[in-house]
Amino acid sequence: MSDRTIRFFARTTLIATTVLVLSPLGTLAQSTAAPASSNQSTTSLSKDRWLHVRVISSDAKGESVKVNVPLELAEKVLPAINKDRLHAGRVKIDSAHMDDVDLRALVDAIRTTKDGEFVTVQSNECDVRVAKLNNHLIIHVLDKENAKKSEVEIKVPMKVIDALFSAGKDELDLVAALHALSAQGDTELVSVKDHENTVRVWLDSKNVTD
Amino acid sequence: MVLLAKAALGLGGTLVLAGAYTMREGVIRVDVDEFRSGGSHVHMWVPAAAIPMAMHFVPDKHWRHASEHVREAMPILHAVVKELRKYPDAVFVEIDDNNEHVRVRTTGGRIQIDVDAPDEKVHILCPLSTIEDVTVQMEEHGSGA
Repeated sequence: MSDRTIRFFARTTLIATTVLVLSPLGTLAQSTAAPASSNQSTTSLSKDRWLHVRVISSDAKGESVKVNVPLELAEKVLPAINKDRLHAGRVKIDSAHMDDVDLRALVDAIRTTKDGEFVTVQSNECDVRVAKLNNHLIIHVLDKENAKKSEVEIKVPMKVIDALFSAGKDELDLVAALHALSAQGDTELVSVKDHENTVRVWLDSKNVTD
Repeated sequence: MVLLAKAALGLGGTLVLAGAYTMREGVIRVDVDEFRSGGSHVHMWVPAAAIPMAMHFVPDKHWRHASEHVREAMPILHAVVKELRKYPDAVFVEIDDNNEHVRVRTTGGRIQIDVDAPDEKVHILCPLSTIEDVTVQMEEHGSGA
């Protein structure tokens, strides 16, 4: 083998070796550099729908909890959980409490009814309002009993409620409800405000909270 | 002399190739610091690709024992990891207060768990692909057992 060939061979091997040596370093670098880039990631793929939960405590500890879950992930994972009352993405309702109420008939009645207020309670202790508006079931509770008022507002699309009760008399179909929820636009589902905590549950296409 | 150089080059190349293959999936990083007397301090970097390879050498009786303990959790973990890989980097859980900070996030195909508390610090970084490989192997061994 001539000197020139050996030199060429050695140089080629050196370059290949350098590339091979650097490639795992690149992988390592990715693992450390990624946090910075991930912070810039604000919007997921447009088809992804994310459910966000945020709890902010106003006490001295100032605790805050943020949970962000892709709805599709929840849809896929829930059927894998088989524990207690939860099986195959459906949760069993305690029949002892539901024997006298036909929930499906109730839901059916609400769905077919025109928009309006179903329940209005006003008292010194609390105000309660249950209404149907623009295909959403709205529940609003204002607790006035304590010196510091607390307010709960729940807004659920009727399609989600339909899906939730689609399984059977004594079952709630969580997966079907999540699937129905994923078809909805950006919306706030739950809002709770009292003197200690603020809770928000909402749906959008962003993979980060505000 | 040339022969020796060739042999060294061959050996070096093989080592580099082996290193690159082992490191192709990145590393699993575990850092645990407990700030109390007798508290443990664990700092570990393991090539992620080595874990599924090493699992082939685990004796069957240990597989059976492990599978019994994690049977219920395996399908859930498998489903979670499989799905997580489809999503861009995101923070899934973040808990903060004056003293403590907990965060679970995905970053560059890895799951990162950080716990910063006054009495302990835990940082775990693990490629999702490795967790998936491990769960698949455990499920296979579990069903075999």
